[in-house]
Amino acid sequence: MSKVSIKGLEKVYPNGFQAVHGIDLEIKDGEFMVFVGPSGCAKSTTLRMIAGLEEISRGSIVIGDRVVNDVQPKDRGIAMVFQNYALYPHMSVFDNMAFSLKMKKMDKSEIKKRVEEAATILELESVLDRKPKQLSGGQRQRVAVGRAIVRNPEVFLFDEPLSNLDAKLRVNMRVQLSQLHQKIGTTMIYVTHDQVEAMTMGDRICVMNLGKIMQVDTPLNLYHAPQNKFVAGFIGSPSMNLLEGEVIDNKESLHIKIGGIELALPEDKAKKIMDYVGKKVWFGCRPEYINLGAEESNDTVKGTIQVLEHMGNESYIHFDVLGNRFTSRIDSLDSKDLRVGREQIFQMDMDKCHIFDYSTEENISL
Amino acid sequence: MEKLKRNSLLGFGGLLVLLFMSPLYIVVTNSFKSQKGIVIDALGLPFGEYFRPENYIQAFEELRFVRSFINSLAITVSATVIIIIFASMAAWMLVRSKSKFSGVLFMVFAAAMLIPFQSVMLPLINLMGKLNMLHPVGLVFMYLGFGSSLSIILYHGFIKGIPKELEEAAVIDGCNTFQVFWYIVFPLLKPITVTVSILNAMWIWNDFLLPQLVINKPEWHTIPLRMFYFFGQYSKKWFLALPGLVIAMIPIVIFYIFMQKHIVKGVTQGSIK
Repeated sequence: MSKVSIKGLEKVYPNGFQAVHGIDLEIKDGEFMVFVGPSGCAKSTTLRMIAGLEEISRGSIVIGDRVVNDVQPKDRGIAMVFQNYALYPHMSVFDNMAFSLKMKKMDKSEIKKRVEEAATILELESVLDRKPKQLSGGQRQRVAVGRAIVRNPEVFLFDEPLSNLDAKLRVNMRVQLSQLHQKIGTTMIYVTHDQVEAMTMGDRICVMNLGKIMQVDTPLNLYHAPQNKFVAGFIGSPSMNLLEGEVIDNKESLHIKIGGIELALPEDKAKKIMDYVGKKVWFGCRPEYINLGAEESNDTVKGTIQVLEHMGNESYIHFDVLGNRFTSRIDSLDSKDLRVGREQIFQMDMDKCHIFDYSTEENISL
Repeated sequence: MEKLKRNSLLGFGGLLVLLFMSPLYIVVTNSFKSQKGIVIDALGLPFGEYFRPENYIQAFEELRFVRSFINSLAITVSATVIIIIFASMAAWMLVRSKSKFSGVLFMVFAAAMLIPFQSVMLPLINLMGKLNMLHPVGLVFMYLGFGSSLSIILYHGFIKGIPKELEEAAVIDGCNTFQVFWYIVFPLLKPITVTVSILNAMWIWNDFLLPQLVINKPEWHTIPLRMFYFFGQYSKKWFLALPGLVIAMIPIVIFYIFMQKHIVKGVTQGSIK
């Protein structure tokens, strides 16, 4: 086990394109850290720099107590699981798992012991003599993990390891990887673009965009207290309703005006954004905090239902209010009587809404 | 309609087989005939008064078969092995290095295939003579030069399909650049290595012109060079040349049949996804 410390990390390609812009991050001993973000946000590049597969342009990476900037990948104490497994096709499962140990010139009996131990953990004992092409997707994935386990690394690196599996297997493997982390307790860094994976697996999540860290926090904090508009919009499915608005003071209380809609802000939120009166802001409200309302008040809107999506346990209602699109998430039983095209009153839980600075996009309502 | 289509295709296929097999038939049947038998009836089967199986013994002796076979084998094997090693490594680096230089270099290799051998052979022999390279080792060196272009192009196309992550995984597993190539990349090149080795071995084994220009000592002669002794200015010993041809083609045909079995498609299947 080892902590990983990243300071001022930058990646500039020879053509001048800067992929990573000065990342600072501390990953604790035994922590499961997830890098999440949209395609091209440099999460994989950052992971590859930790692995030593990409050169570092500026900054430093410390694994344990060692600066590893100029250390060969094999000597960094890391093991990596690739998106496409990268199993050696001409070798058996046993040889795939034993390869790194053979390269270390480890004793044959020790290699056998370690491979068999890993195979037991991952339930691969019966396929040790098979070639990768004879395995199912899930088995290949487990072999890739097994190949990492036998190295007994200080840090595991996972680069979108489940993205090639079908949905059911992905859920299964997600649980297995979480259990593996609990069992061996090694520091793990996991890259994914799937926020469900991030939310369910990570002790902490590092949300990235355009080569910068947007927020590092626990899954629940990211969800309930996003520090900026990007995190608010990226985490959560369906994503948060984010609309352009203006803070207005009608003497009784602060309101937020979105197009022709006016919504009263609760006192504690109003206090925090007092300086923004008359200014443009971003208003955010998660779909589950927009419920069906009975009568109009200062926290309701009247909208026309555009699309109804029934998911079984819940329903998503996409509705329009004076040209502004909202999404609401309600219990599916409550949506039985709703029809597309019908007008409906929706009530916002304004205590749970977020206000973001218009230009910096920082959350000003926390 | 379907049946007619199938039958006409079968008929056309049969004709093609006849066309391709007829030279082999003529060589093999006439190799058992005397010179007179060949001249009188080149298409007939070797029976009767013209049947002369001892052609083979005589051809074997006049070819100095053991010696020339060893020469041919040594030159073919060493040149093919060296071409495989150099071309596979060069192609790997050309694929993995994304610099403009590697692109230009690859184009140079491709362009080199367009230059006819006859246009470079005299200056080449002149130069190699000055470098004291007119011997079998020099010949192997020249084969490397002439054989690299096509081999690199073949390897280049194949290597592009090998996922880079395999090499990165090997680097993390502790391989240096050479070990990545030798333990991971080269075994995956098996199907194309078989193709490259068949193409090069057949060409080098049968090559006449380059050895004729380079090898000037009889004890270094390859089989095709010895075959030339059957064709004089005033006489052509077909009854020896044809069994000689049969003897000469047997090793390379065996090699082809053996290697063909090793062309395994989709060897990388299962490594990814």
